[in-house]
Formats: sequence, structure tokens, C-alpha cells
Amino acid sequence: MDRRRFVIGTTASAAALAAGPAFAQETFPSHAVTIINAFPPGGANDAVTRPLAAALEPILKQPVVVETKAGAGGQVGAQVAASSKPDGYTLLSHNNGISGYAEVDKLFGRAPKTTRADFIPLARLVADPILLVVNDQQPYKTLKDFVDDAKKRPDTIVYSSGGLYGATHLPVALLEKATGVPKLRHLPTNGGGPAITALLGNNAQASTQATSATLQHIKAGKLRALASFGGTRSKILPDVPTLKELGYNVEYYLWVGIFAPKGTPPQIVSILSPAIEKAANSDQFKTAVTNLGLEPGYLNAKNFAAFWDADAKRSDEAVKTIGKVQG
Amino acid sequence: METTFISLLHGFEVALQPANLWYAFLGCLVGTLVGVLPGIGPLSGISILLPVTFGLNATQAVIMLAGIYYGSQYGGSTTSILMRIPGEASSVMTCIDGNAMAKKGRAGAALCIAAVGSWIAGTFGIIMLTLIAPPLATLALRFGPPEYTALLVLGLIFLAYMSSTSLVRTLLMACLGLMLGMIGIDNMTGHFRYSFDLAELGDGIGIVPVAVGLFGLGEILATPSHKVVGEVITPKLRELLPNRQEWREAAMPIARGSVLGFIIGIIPGSAHIISSFLSYALEKKVSKHPEQFGKGAVAGVAGPESANNSASTGAFVPMLALGIPTGPITAVLIGALMVHGVSVGPQLVSEHPDVFWGFVASMYVGNLMLLALNLPLVGIFVSVLRIPYTYLYPMIIMFCIIGVYEVSHSIVDVWIMLIMGVLGYGLRKFSFDPAPLVLGLVIAPIFEQSLRQSLIMSNGNYLIFLSRPIALGLVIVSAVLLTLSAISFVLKRKDWRAKLAEAETAES
Repeated sequence: MDRRRFVIGTTASAAALAAGPAFAQETFPSHAVTIINAFPPGGANDAVTRPLAAALEPILKQPVVVETKAGAGGQVGAQVAASSKPDGYTLLSHNNGISGYAEVDKLFGRAPKTTRADFIPLARLVADPILLVVNDQQPYKTLKDFVDDAKKRPDTIVYSSGGLYGATHLPVALLEKATGVPKLRHLPTNGGGPAITALLGNNAQASTQATSATLQHIKAGKLRALASFGGTRSKILPDVPTLKELGYNVEYYLWVGIFAPKGTPPQIVSILSPAIEKAANSDQFKTAVTNLGLEPGYLNAKNFAAFWDADAKRSDEAVKTIGKVQG
Repeated sequence: METTFISLLHGFEVALQPANLWYAFLGCLVGTLVGVLPGIGPLSGISILLPVTFGLNATQAVIMLAGIYYGSQYGGSTTSILMRIPGEASSVMTCIDGNAMAKKGRAGAALCIAAVGSWIAGTFGIIMLTLIAPPLATLALRFGPPEYTALLVLGLIFLAYMSSTSLVRTLLMACLGLMLGMIGIDNMTGHFRYSFDLAELGDGIGIVPVAVGLFGLGEILATPSHKVVGEVITPKLRELLPNRQEWREAAMPIARGSVLGFIIGIIPGSAHIISSFLSYALEKKVSKHPEQFGKGAVAGVAGPESANNSASTGAFVPMLALGIPTGPITAVLIGALMVHGVSVGPQLVSEHPDVFWGFVASMYVGNLMLLALNLPLVGIFVSVLRIPYTYLYPMIIMFCIIGVYEVSHSIVDVWIMLIMGVLGYGLRKFSFDPAPLVLGLVIAPIFEQSLRQSLIMSNGNYLIFLSRPIALGLVIVSAVLLTLSAISFVLKRKDWRAKLAEAETAES
């Protein structure tokens, strides 16, 4: 290739590149879509997002790449997604955590790095009801036993969580507030797995954990579920009463949702939303999710937005109840 | 016992079916590649390939994915030995003596010993897993925060044996490491510490960027500052295998590393990271020639490499027997089984004997495959050293950067690695050993968390460390070690370390 042809060649490809985005908008998606997953493999987010991506590929007719950007309880991924180009090619898979950062930052007098306004909710994929579980060495058979004993012995019963202000910590605050239990002692660990391990080893006596994460241990008799934070009884554990039945107006789920960064054009959102709906209702995705012990809890963009508002209110309330923790 | 044997035979029937053999081989092959290539670790390898297994049955899926996991432990030592780049935290210790052996022209021997050590340790781990998984798993559950704290106190004491420099220098480095380990969100109160408003620093400073920077990059930056003769080490084919002397030196460390690694591996949590560090310190402590460590001691390769392999097998014990993940990798494996409708828990063996025993048997087969796969590769890997420095070193720097970025897709990690590279250069110039720094960084966050968790459990009462049998045992071991050192200090007996300090004073 001589020099002139080289110059012509590069100019031509530069022109093609420049024309690219304008062209791409008409036929979205024209290249791979990336879903940023804010949580490391081993958690519900990873387990749900990967089958979704696999189901989404044939619908969008483009590769869908899951990119893990984990760290700081999901804040790193949220921040990366919030600051990425809002062109529909970068989406975010996140969970409850995304509701709470701003309130926690407020508590510490920090400027929030991301708020809920930075994201457009596209779909809720699953909502896993939280369970109040105790290990088999505890005498409690019902929620009432537990609450009565906790009232008698404040700050004695230890509960494990996956992390401070996280999705397995906040429900305890909601429970404390609703039942009037003065205080349970908090044992933070670094993740849902370690929190359940601490409970199984009786280093903690109670915990609020997602149904899917505890199901095996409940079936094996190692853990006992006293109450469910779900709105209705779970199909998998029909014997566990909901808090609402027991007279406490508390609801809490560990949910996974898909978001687009603020500023994503409406016409692109209107392509993505139905595509995700189709993927989330595909047999392939549903089977994968059901096998994980999760109940598919798909909500479309509009219903998810309403759910997210209500959930964020609950989350803010719980963060305020917990307040700043004495180190 | 007899039933175990029959079940295992049945497992081999499953594992030796051609399709299952093929998936075991595929897993081991990918695992070896994942281990050798810096950057792509077993966790990302497994989670990327997870959707591929949706089309397989549960046994094939877990055989293949587990193959990636334990296969990566074989390959992990390769870059450590050849280029002084630790691909993962568990191969940091191999850098030191493995690379020193390579510089002496014994790269092939080091790689062979690492592969054979890994095979023995892996097989030992599976035998233990076959025989005594359920009772061991129950024991592992009793390993709570107080036991962790006591174990890490022991780790801190072992820090003193980590390096080939005087005690003052070692402790100085360890303190620096412990201080770096303080960075990140305080798990107990939610405060950000020393994070400079970077969310990426919320989880603290990663071990891989620090280790790659200090060891790999620091080494390369330091090379031009001393006389480079441009001499390329070209080992002859028959020098690739370890000689009889080297086998003899490797035998006991492999045995000790296998046992130590397995015990640490079954502990749920992040304890497995320290298995190779503890093994190195142990080998140095029991060695008749501790002064050789850091200069190419065979035991310094054989011990840690065996330990990290048997730890990775040990990690399957709580997973298979109780359904609790010991770390993120076993958590993904549990997820992979659940996607196929196999629930992992105490009832796994009775409900899905095919999956359980097929999986166990496939690990025996897989380890053999890995040995067969890795030994011939030694010759190919060693020829990397034939590349002149002018070409090799820029390529290594590139691998360092790509590798570190790939671990968590974070540009902050790349900066950390570059800064650590400069620091590593400085440390090398002033003859400080970076190994204690890395161990300090590994220990600090786990130690802090488990100490504070213990005190939450006991409501601030320190007697919790003495009232639980396992914790008490570990505390006693630490106390005995400290007392022994104190006695020799009082008696002013000079050990190898004091001699080192004298030599260092004489130099400056």
C-alpha cells in the first residue's frame, strides 16, 4: 500500500466511524450491548444477569456482554454506569443497594455520588422475599417466641448480615421498628454467604436472608424460618407465615433490576424494554431462575418504577432507624 | 468405609464415560490457560463459561467448571517462576524462590516440582475429601470469628519468617502492609477510610495489583540499573527435569504443604489465601538452611505450591458436605449446580449420588490429566526465557497492565500497580523484601474484621479467645512460638537473622 492510498483509506474509515453513531441510532442495537453487573460472581445478581444476557442475545440479535464492576457494596458499578454514555449500549444490573446509597451518604454528611435520579428503571427481574431465620440450636418456633425473648434480653441475640446498611441488614431495622424489639446485636460480615455461615456455625443466632440463599438449609433442618417479609406466602415454603399475616405491616425483598443511565433516549428505551420483557419471560430464563430457588418477579418499566419508589422509601426509613453506628 | 469405596467405584463409572472425560479435559485445559495467562483468574473464567454449561447435565457442568478451578492452581505458578509475576494472591510466595531458581537456570526444575507437588497435593486433598468430608465440614463450621482471629495472630507471628532480610526490615515492611490494609470502608461503621473519595478504594487495596507491582514491575524497573550482561538463560532439554537432590529437598515440603493447605482450605472464608504464605514460613522455620530461602530454595517452591493446591481441594469440603461456599468460586459452582436443579446441601450425597461421586472421581482423573498436560508444557514455557530482555520486558509490562486491569476492570487498580512498581524499585534498591508487605496487606482486613466480630459476639469480652477450644489451641501455639523467640533473644543466641542484620550493617 503506497502512502496516498493509505491516507485515502484512513480518511474513508474515519468518515465511516464518524457516520457510525448517527446510523446506529436508527437500527439500535448495531453492536454489542454491555450490562454492568455491580456485584461479584457468587451472588444473586450474577446468577440472574448471566441467564438474562443469554436470553437477550437472540432477541437483540447482538452479543450481550456481562461486565463485572464490583466494589463498595455495588457503588462502584452504579457510579460507572451513571457516568457512562447514555446510548443504550451500557445498562446496569443492580439490586436494593441502589436505593440506599444517597440516604447513607446523607447520614455521614457526604455528597452522594449517585442518586436514584441517575438511573431509568427498565425492568425488575426477580424479587426474592427476605426470611427471618434462626439456627437449629435456638428454641424459637414462632416469631412471637423470638420477639418475646428479644424484648426480655435486649442487645443479647446476635444477628448476622451481609454488610452494614445492606439488603440483609435493613430488614432487621424494619422488623425492630414494627415489633418494638429494643435492639438486636448486629454482626456484619462481608456478604450473604459468610452471614449464613456465621448463622450455621452458631456465631450468630438469627439473620434476615433471601429465600433462595437459605432454602437448602431450611429443608435440611439446619435453619428455621420464623417469618417471611414477602407480601404473600412463598410457593416454595408455604408453611412460613408472612409478617403481614402476623400483624406487622413490613415488606422487603432482595430484588434484581435492570437500569439504563439517565439521558438514554426514549426511542432506545422503547426498544430495550420489550426486549428485556421477552427475555425475562422466556422459558430459558425462567427455568434458570426457578432452579436457583427464585420466584420470577418480572415487572415492566412502569410497574418497576412504582415498586422502586415504595422500596426506596422503606430503605430510607430503615437507614434512618439504624442511624450512625458507634464504632 | 466399604460403602465409600463402592460409591467411589460408581463415581469412576460416571467420570470415565467418554463425554464426562471430555468435559473434565476441557475444564482442565481452560483452567491451565486461565492459570497461565495473567489477569483472567479462575473466578472470571468460571463465571464467563457458566452459561455455556446450561446445555450440559449437572455432572458435566460441575466437572468442567471445577476443572477450571483446580486446573488454574497448576498454571498459576508459571508466570511467578518465569517472570516473577504472581497471577493470584496464592502464587506470591512462589515468585521469590521460584524466580530465583529460574535465574540459576533451574526454571524447568521449578516448574516440574510445582506441577508434581500440585498433583500430589491435589490427589491427597481428594482422598481426604472422599474419606472424611462430612465430619470435617462440621468442624469447619466451628471456625468462627474468634478462631479466625487466633489463626491470624499466628499468621502475624509467622510474618517474621517471611523474608530473607533482618527482623527490623521485615517488620517495617509488614507494618507498611498492615497500614495499606486499613484502606477502605470500615465494615462495622460504614466510614470510608483513606479512600480519597474514590469508590474503587471502598473495598480496600487489592492484593493482585500490589503483588504484581512490587514483584513483577519492580523487578523489571530495577533491571537496567545494574549491569545487564544480556545473557539469556537457555536451559538444555535434559536440565529441564529436577535432579535427585532437588527431588529429595522437595519431598517433605510437598507432604507438609499438602496437609497444611487442606486444613486451611476447609475453613470457610478467605483463609485459603494465607495457605501458601503459612507454608512458606513453616518451611523456612523447619529448614536446616533458612538462609537459602529467597535465593532459590526448592522447599520455597514445593511447599507453597502444594499448599495452595490442596487448599483449593479442601474448599470443596464445606461446599459438598454442607452446601456453604468457602469463597466466591465455590459459590459460583453451587450456583451452577442449582441452575441444573441440583440443590447443594447436606442431602447432596443421598439425593444425587451420581453428581457427587462422579464429581469426586472426576477430580482424581482431572488431576492426572493436569499433570500430563503440564509436564510437557514445561519445555515450551521455559523457552520464554530465551527471548532477549529487550523484547521480553516490554511484553511483561504489557501483561502486567492488562492482567491487573482484567481482575476487576478497574483503572484504579492499574494505577495502584504502577505506584507499587515504583515502590518495588525503591525497596529493591535499599534491599527490602516486599513479601512481608503483601502478607500484611492480606492479613490486615481479615484480622480487623474477625477481631471486631469476635468482640461483638462477646460484647467486648476478650476471654472469648480463650473460651473456645480451637481458638485457645491456636493462641497457645502463638504463645509458645513467642516464648521460644524471647528465650533465644534473652540468651543472645545469634541465629541466621542476626547474622543477616550484621551483614546488612556491614554493607552500609
